[in-house]
Amino acid sequence: MKSGRLTAAAEILVLLLTAFFLYQGLRGDHGEESEIRRHIIENGSSETGALNLVTSIYLGYRAFDTLGETMVLLLAVSGGLFLLKPGSSGNGHDERGEDGYGQD
Amino acid sequence: MDRTDTGRAGMNRKTTILDLISRKLAPFMLLFGLYVLTYGHASPGGGFQGGVVIASGVILLFVAQGVEAAERLFPFATLSRVETMAFLAFIGAGLAGIAAGIGFLGNPMVLVEVSAAPRAGMVLLLNLVIGIEVGSGVSLICLRLFREE
Repeated sequence: MKSGRLTAAAEILVLLLTAFFLYQGLRGDHGEESEIRRHIIENGSSETGALNLVTSIYLGYRAFDTLGETMVLLLAVSGGLFLLKPGSSGNGHDERGEDGYGQD
Repeated sequence: MDRTDTGRAGMNRKTTILDLISRKLAPFMLLFGLYVLTYGHASPGGGFQGGVVIASGVILLFVAQGVEAAERLFPFATLSRVETMAFLAFIGAGLAGIAAGIGFLGNPMVLVEVSAAPRAGMVLLLNLVIGIEVGSGVSLICLRLFREE
């Protein structure tokens, strides 16, 4: 019973700490003034054409990164479809595979 | 073995409510996905989010209407072809920036003095292409998982 109370106290402490740091982040004044943030806020829309600054980063300044991300998605889907191909092996193999999934 | 059996039985016991709601809801989900795509440059959203919303509409059709019925609307071969073509279109659209002298994947529309909506040109196009690719990719995987053979 004592250890249970200790665990509850620890949980509350962790929650309070999390709330404190989240509140620090949400207040908006981060203290440090970064050059790139100022540049994106001032010129992001005019340089990339997107009103949404998040979009102006991931499809404007970092569009090549997004190309790589899309490539990863294409490869993941291709690999998934290859592994899930039905009827590529015999019936017995399919049975075993389904049993394996059932145990999971 | 058991799971597929119950799944098939569940497919036969399709209720009127599920049938009707999925028929009415799926077009609006697809429409909302397209909205998230096309307004991704001006409001929260974008290619990946809109694509997943589109895929959820397709998956609703797969789950509620059965794979056979939904596959008449979204055939497997077409979905996989669309996904590959969307990726090629992404690379092809990037060449427009090179032609305009900005660089790969640059937005040529910022060089022209136009109003806000067409200025987003390239971003809008890339959002659409990414959304189509994500939507068809996620639908493809779910279609392959739902199909029982």
